[in-house]
Amino acid sequence: MKTSQEQHVCGSTVVQTINAPLPLVWSILRRFDNPKTFKHFVKTCKLRSGDGGEGSVREVTVVSDLPASFSLERLDELDDESHVMVISIIGGDHRLVNYQSKTTVFVAAEEEKTVVVESYVVDVPEGNTEEETTLFADTIVGCNLRSLAKLSEKMMELT
Amino acid sequence: MAGICCGVVGETEPAAPVDSTSRASLRRRLDLLPSIKIVADSAVAPPLENCRKRQKRETVVLSTLPGNLDLDSNVRSENKKARSAVTNSNSVTEAESFFSDVPKIGTTSVCGRRRDMEDAVSIHPSFLQRNSENHHFYGVFDGHGCSHVAEKCRERLHDIVKKEVEVMASDEWTETMVKSFQKMDKEVSQRECNLVVNGATRSMKNSCRCELQSPQCDAVGSTAVVSVVTPEKIIVSNCGDSRAVLCRNGVAIPLSVDHKPDRPDELIRIQQAGGRVIYWDGARVLGVLAMSRAIGDNYLKPYVIPDPEVTVTDRTDEDECLILASDGLWDVVPNETACGVARMCLRGAGAGDDSDAAHNACSDAALLLTKLALARQSSDNVSVVVVDLRKRRNNQASS
Repeated sequence: MKTSQEQHVCGSTVVQTINAPLPLVWSILRRFDNPKTFKHFVKTCKLRSGDGGEGSVREVTVVSDLPASFSLERLDELDDESHVMVISIIGGDHRLVNYQSKTTVFVAAEEEKTVVVESYVVDVPEGNTEEETTLFADTIVGCNLRSLAKLSEKMMELT
Repeated sequence: MAGICCGVVGETEPAAPVDSTSRASLRRRLDLLPSIKIVADSAVAPPLENCRKRQKRETVVLSTLPGNLDLDSNVRSENKKARSAVTNSNSVTEAESFFSDVPKIGTTSVCGRRRDMEDAVSIHPSFLQRNSENHHFYGVFDGHGCSHVAEKCRERLHDIVKKEVEVMASDEWTETMVKSFQKMDKEVSQRECNLVVNGATRSMKNSCRCELQSPQCDAVGSTAVVSVVTPEKIIVSNCGDSRAVLCRNGVAIPLSVDHKPDRPDELIRIQQAGGRVIYWDGARVLGVLAMSRAIGDNYLKPYVIPDPEVTVTDRTDEDECLILASDGLWDVVPNETACGVARMCLRGAGAGDDSDAAHNACSDAALLLTKLALARQSSDNVSVVVVDLRKRRNNQASS
């Protein structure tokens, strides 16, 4: 990942516990080609290259009135054994430059629960502080993970 | 509607020559503005539930759009898809004209340069009788994230307000409207439960993008600017950045103040609730939402709240019209200009008992304002409601 010397970088980690088994949660999360199922800010998603596996690139358009309209994202790593997914944002009309996130899924200590941990690093854009940047990104990531939890738990109820 | 970029639908044209030099000149002015594709399409259904009301003389006008309306074609390839939108003229049948206070209304609601239509308009003349007085309901809702919260407001808010007003003690309008908006917000938030219980039937008849993917969309909301007009008063309740403006004797009087996150009192309220306003492509709550109040948007509660600010204004003989509109208009047309345009249209029609002429004048005003917004490169959906407030029988000679 390229980061210029003077460019300020920040990062944070968001943790979400889900009342659903790991295989179910992972099966939703791992679908790089279909983030819409739980990411409500995503309006459309198209693969620009690849088949949804490592190295694939997706173009995501986002819903109205957000500070972005589209984003280009690459799947750097997808490990179905250790349940790790790494995604880089490589373009788009938004202010998340050099954003990379690593999402790891664990079986929780409690039975039938899953813990999702998503960490990211991103450049602090000009005009904003580190704190503002992480608060913004945490809001988006947190919203996605809460939504992943709700969807997984709903699917549990239905089965 | 394939192949159409941007549309206004079903503008009302006079079936017979109604009058007049001023109307003709208005027409010419309309024609001077960039022409808009006009499409008859029921994708956004006009509010037709009132049995005494029917749509009259809906003439479809076709013309072509300047190509430069397709603003982000360099960004997204599927951008050149059809756009549609609706103009309604709520005309009045003979039966209705027995009432002395039948309101004259014009509405326009267009998708404009946006990819999706997320505005909704709600018009319910005589939605309620109280102390043997007719009350009228007008609302403009500008959705974000998806259209379904705005649609739900269009479907439900007048009913909720009606029920609340019916149990209202004396004239507690503020309390009543706040309660109504909170109930509306609750209904929107409980949408998820309704879905599970009803199996996606009743509440989902207007299917939208996000419900197909997931029954729960915390990140969807809508503005709401609502006016209840009684013979004596204009009550305006506002939540978000749509706006109501009264035109009184040529002066534009805003009856609502936009809820922007950087409005000093809103900024303090958000901070006291533990939230932050971040300048991230403009002032936004947590860097995400560019308004400080809205119906819906569960994920930003308690920083973003559904409570409206309510103004109650006594009507006067100098009142000309009320304009409700989404920010697609107000971002590019100042209050004073909007009033001037509406006033010009109404004056052209006179203030007599000719209800057809008054209706057409309101429709002309709404359409002209919409065209003006598009001509000024508004990038958003544009919805405009113009209500004639002139007191006809008492005040015929006024213009």
